Amino acid sequence: MDETKKTPAAPAIAAKAPAKKAEAKPRIVLDVAYQPQVRTHRDTRSLMLDVIIGLLPVVCVSVWQYGFGTLLRIVMSVCSAVFFEWGYRKLTKKEQTIDDLSAAVTGLLMCLTLSPAIPIWLPIVGNFFAIVVVKQLYGGLGKNFLNPALAGRAFLAASYASAMSRWTVPNALRGVVDGITMATPLGQLYDQGFMPNYMQLDNLLFGTVPGAMGELSALAVLLGGIWLLWRRVISWRIPTATIGAVAILTLMAGHEGFTNLEWMSYNVLSGGLLLAAFFMATDYSTSPVTPRGMLVYGVGIGALTVLIRRYGGYPEGVSYAVLLMNLCSWALDKAFHRHQFGVTQADLDARKAAKKAAKEAAK
Amino acid sequence: MSHTFKGGVHPDYMKAPEIPVTVITPPPQVVIPMIQHIGAPNKPLVKKGDYVTMGQKIGENPAPVSAPVHASVSGTVVAVEPRPHPLGDMVMSVVIENDYKDTPCTDLPPLTEEQMHDSEAILERIREAGVVGMGGAMFPTAFKIRGGIGKVDKLIINGAECEPYLNGDHLTMLNYPEQLLRGIELVRIASCVEKAYYGIEENKQDAIDLLNSYHPERFGIEIVPEKVKYPQGAEKMQVKAVTDREVKPGGIPSGVGCNVVSTRTCYAVYQACYEGKPVIERIVSLAGSALQKPVNGLTRVGTPFAYLAEQCGGFVKPLRKIVLGGPMMGICATSLEAPNIKGTAGVLFFTEEEDRHVDNPTCIRCGKCIQVCPMNLEPVFMYMYYSKGDYANMEKYHITDCFECGSCSFNCPAHMPLTHAFKTAKLMFQAKAMKEKAAAEANAAKEASK
Repeated sequence: MDETKKTPAAPAIAAKAPAKKAEAKPRIVLDVAYQPQVRTHRDTRSLMLDVIIGLLPVVCVSVWQYGFGTLLRIVMSVCSAVFFEWGYRKLTKKEQTIDDLSAAVTGLLMCLTLSPAIPIWLPIVGNFFAIVVVKQLYGGLGKNFLNPALAGRAFLAASYASAMSRWTVPNALRGVVDGITMATPLGQLYDQGFMPNYMQLDNLLFGTVPGAMGELSALAVLLGGIWLLWRRVISWRIPTATIGAVAILTLMAGHEGFTNLEWMSYNVLSGGLLLAAFFMATDYSTSPVTPRGMLVYGVGIGALTVLIRRYGGYPEGVSYAVLLMNLCSWALDKAFHRHQFGVTQADLDARKAAKKAAKEAAK
Repeated sequence: MSHTFKGGVHPDYMKAPEIPVTVITPPPQVVIPMIQHIGAPNKPLVKKGDYVTMGQKIGENPAPVSAPVHASVSGTVVAVEPRPHPLGDMVMSVVIENDYKDTPCTDLPPLTEEQMHDSEAILERIREAGVVGMGGAMFPTAFKIRGGIGKVDKLIINGAECEPYLNGDHLTMLNYPEQLLRGIELVRIASCVEKAYYGIEENKQDAIDLLNSYHPERFGIEIVPEKVKYPQGAEKMQVKAVTDREVKPGGIPSGVGCNVVSTRTCYAVYQACYEGKPVIERIVSLAGSALQKPVNGLTRVGTPFAYLAEQCGGFVKPLRKIVLGGPMMGICATSLEAPNIKGTAGVLFFTEEEDRHVDNPTCIRCGKCIQVCPMNLEPVFMYMYYSKGDYANMEKYHITDCFECGSCSFNCPAHMPLTHAFKTAKLMFQAKAMKEKAAAEANAAKEASK
């Protein structure tokens, strides 16, 4: 589909003009294209750059709590993701796509879902799976059906279970807690059934708790989410539906030893729910694009998260919830078609009736 | 709450209504194409060597869907031959050598007071003066209004001018407010309705205030301020914003009791009825980065683009594209020699700066096309099925509802040629329907001969 075609008329005119004249007046060959003749300033690269900017507060909190070791892991992860994308495209002799920054976003997001104590080579393994297997083998950007970052994480969780569930004590809790490792807030909630006084709501908000690099501070994630919404990178539908579903379900369910409101706040603010709702579930190629499809998808993620946390083997369920709903995106888009402009409910009913009548007549 | 519709985009408006209207000196030769409307092409009424006066009818076709054309200058006819047409191809045109006397033609006297209240007389004059939809569609206005009589209960005047760069409607409102309101009144009387609704985007607040100071209710007009958003000026969006009615798929506004007439058309109706002046000139917005500065030029119909560019001081950067109308729905001209016609609201001279073309665009499935489609379509899927050549699914996704506003392509961060694909697909559907019709007819003939 070549958008611009050289006009047949312009060269014809140029050919008609005598040679001398053509020398004096530079030949003008006009481009011809269908509308629109102007385009938005946004491009894929600028959208991805906005996602990276949105993740900066989260990165800062992780450095604050776990030192520059996390920064090293993040940089390694981003570089390896970009390298794998570059290498795959090079080997398969395809056009290079690393400057759209999508591989960098995958590397960054993937690393943020990991524990700050992971061996430094682990994100590299995860990125190989994420970029090569999940993204590029299915055709690259826009074609993959699973979120590469989360699929990479799931791959690592299955292959290196012990390294993936080793949570070290953050700087803020040094001296408060004995030992090197400790349970995450979600582990406390579901395995122990109580929250110690150093894991209250303010700790969850500001991020002075153990956890994956990107899920420490709820405020930092929210800040990034608001940035994405303000820059119109994502629509409000998916995050609202996801967080809303978790909030409503946990508020209704409640738990022994907590008031319902407490239980809800802990569930919404701890773990990777917010990070997933704003940054993972909204991944373009793996989420539905129709307005109603987005809402159902978000509610699905929220509901599955609550179910996995409550009844599943892991306290942390949101990454699997997103992966499961990724698989449904296509079907959701098909099921929740947009309402056709100019067609009322009465028209639809009439159409249905006509179809039925035709069927009856055929019998 | 201001009136609006769902979806739409906010392009860089690049408007320059503060630039006063410059009268562009008519060129030494004007080229008047016989097709300046949708419908049956006109046949030339003059031949080489004839002397014509300014405003004299020089082309006509008796078919109902047609509009005559008039000489925009006085002078001698030097050729009646096919010439490059702004919308492509060669079209039979009358070339007039300007004598710079502007000898007026007296064929069309102003209407009498009595005639101004007679729908039939006004419609007759609208047709005779060659008035067409001057928003760019160029559908013969008399035929459109006649078709709506009895069906239409709400007349909507389109003053959105939502396309970037264009200022003609805005300047008409500011310079000729009373004439414009009288023109709308005439269209209202011709349409046999009690009230006309004048939808104007709020970025023309000065014009809204000015028109309101003339008490539009005296003329049976209500001014409806609208939210600034492209494509507010599209017919279906105007109907939706003003009346909240939705035009049926494949239908026209009169199907839901509305008719939409553009600002500039109403002013042309005023000139035709009060001044006896056919459509021979209009305000054309000349802009684009190839020009030194934008100009709002009162331009005669038939002025070649090359001459227009010269009048604006020539090109300062290499020209890449000539866009007729606004940049969102405008069509590219194929030749600098082609003239402007009745429907040309703007001539944009674009360089590489405006062209954000990408060589191998890749859809990232962000769904931003769906968010902005004013027709509730799903361009991302339509494009996918288009690439596969899957007609059944294209139809299922209502590709024929697309009116090619360009919002999806504009908003696409990957710069996919979405509108291009849908326009092509619609042409394929048309060709397919015609082929099927021809096959059915051939079959029927075969059956009959048996």
